[in-house]
Amino acid sequence: MKNLTKKFAGLTAVNDMSFEIHRGEFVGLIGPNGAGKTTIFNLISGIEKPTSGTIRFDGRDITGMSTHKIVNLGLVRTFQLVRSFKFMTLLDNINVSCLSPRGKTIAKDYGIDEYSSTILASVGLIDKARLPPVILPHGDLRKLQIGKALGTNPQLLLLDEPFSGLSHEEAVSITELIRSLHSDGVTVFVTGHVLRELMGLVPRVIAMHQGKFIADGPPKEVANNKIVLEAYLGRGGEFART
Amino acid sequence: MKINYEFSDFKIYMRDWIGTFRGKLTVLCLIGLILIPLTGNEYIIGIFNTFMIFTIFAASWDFLAGFVGQVSFGHAIFLGIAGYTTAFTIRFLNFPWWLALVLGAVIAVLFGLIIGVPALRLKGPYLALGTLAMSLILYQLFLMGSLAILWENTFPGTIMFGTDGIGQIPPISQEAGISYLVIFLIMVTSLIVLTHLAKSKLGTIFKSIRDDETGAKASGINTTKYKILAFMISGFFAGIAGGLYTIRLTGVNPGSFQALYSFYAIIMASVGGIATISGSALGAFIFVFLGEILRLLGDNPSISDLLGGFTEPIFIFSVILILIIRFAEHGLLKPVLEHLQDLWDLLLGR
Repeated sequence: MKNLTKKFAGLTAVNDMSFEIHRGEFVGLIGPNGAGKTTIFNLISGIEKPTSGTIRFDGRDITGMSTHKIVNLGLVRTFQLVRSFKFMTLLDNINVSCLSPRGKTIAKDYGIDEYSSTILASVGLIDKARLPPVILPHGDLRKLQIGKALGTNPQLLLLDEPFSGLSHEEAVSITELIRSLHSDGVTVFVTGHVLRELMGLVPRVIAMHQGKFIADGPPKEVANNKIVLEAYLGRGGEFART
Repeated sequence: MKINYEFSDFKIYMRDWIGTFRGKLTVLCLIGLILIPLTGNEYIIGIFNTFMIFTIFAASWDFLAGFVGQVSFGHAIFLGIAGYTTAFTIRFLNFPWWLALVLGAVIAVLFGLIIGVPALRLKGPYLALGTLAMSLILYQLFLMGSLAILWENTFPGTIMFGTDGIGQIPPISQEAGISYLVIFLIMVTSLIVLTHLAKSKLGTIFKSIRDDETGAKASGINTTKYKILAFMISGFFAGIAGGLYTIRLTGVNPGSFQALYSFYAIIMASVGGIATISGSALGAFIFVFLGEILRLLGDNPSISDLLGGFTEPIFIFSVILILIIRFAEHGLLKPVLEHLQDLWDLLLGR
């Protein structure tokens, strides 16, 4: 059983947030730009340290732990701004994750290159295995990000804005990819600032605004929540409705 | 990780490699190098010795900067500390040259660790400044007269610090040809090991740190551990170069710690091409031989009167470095190889 609880206080970016995600869940995190979604991901993944509060993963306190240790526990993230190892082949990009202690426990039985190849195939990039990321379109880079995360054999996958900057077709293929990961047993926590993207995808969303928790529940419920509408549309939106 | 090499795989690999233009050219250069002692000219053999030692030194810097992205401006630290270790153990402890050389490299590895741990909290230009500052501190320490007296009083009959350094180091062999071949073999082995490391899975991890350190961490890589490891590997080879350089010059003095030597490594590696390893050989070749020509020109009174300080090697090389950064930022190895291949094809009438 996994209990992920966290509380931050005194920080403007993320203000006293608490929530739990259970093993096998598929949860979205929504909020307007600047709500603090990425900061939450940075805190969970150990890239930034919280001012106060605790983060627990799989019963273990991971607050303030370094990023690579958290990854090797099975909690892996992707970045909103795509990051890649620019001058290495796509295969080597995935190889890095497969060479991490956690990735290696699985990958070594297949052979590092072979295992990376299966991951590249599963994200649909196998025909570009020998190319460097610099020449790839944005959609492929988003897939590469997910592939890199998969190399570490994640248990909980944090996807930061996996749809931003994508064309409709690209977004559809990423959606399918994320769905299949979830059905393979990976717990997925995904952010988005546009409600529509996530509504059809996840059975549960958490909404936040200006660093604060505002709602938690099935997408339809949250979408009709007065405070959520206010956060997205401003007070005028509320007046317009009443 | 399982690594099983079979000899037949190796044979196939070698055959493919020799089949390439680059392989042929490398073999040709190596055969040429091996024949140098036949000239029997000690002066020429000496210059080639320096060239081979500097190749190892530049390659060790290139490995760290080109493949791990850690730009050190203090590589002279390894050159100096290994030089001192080698000199001290040969002269005062009567170590054979090879043991002294290995010990020097091991001490350089330790220094890689000592420097690595605090320096790796620094990034980019700060790392460069930090390593530069450390080499300056060591330079001053080894120059210090009071330390020299303290050392001589504590360990009578031995020298460690002071302006004169440690002299009277015998050559590897009285036969200049044998010394030459030893250095040749060490250089070839070092280049093969460094190239192989860069291509290995360990090299993949190193390159990921170079390309995106945060990304490497997010891929579960303990970047600190690997950066320190890289510093130690680089230190080992720079240390080998330092020991050989000391034997070649029959002594060592605090000058080995000077920032100038760190810049030499940077110039040689950049001229050849960063992240190529073998480019360091080309860079060192140009550096050493052009330097020698410039020195000869400078020694000629009529020419030096005419050109003044313009024949100063460091002046010329700084200009060359600026030109290379402007016109061939990836170094000379690639363009030179391409042009030689064109010429080769032309000669064969292809």
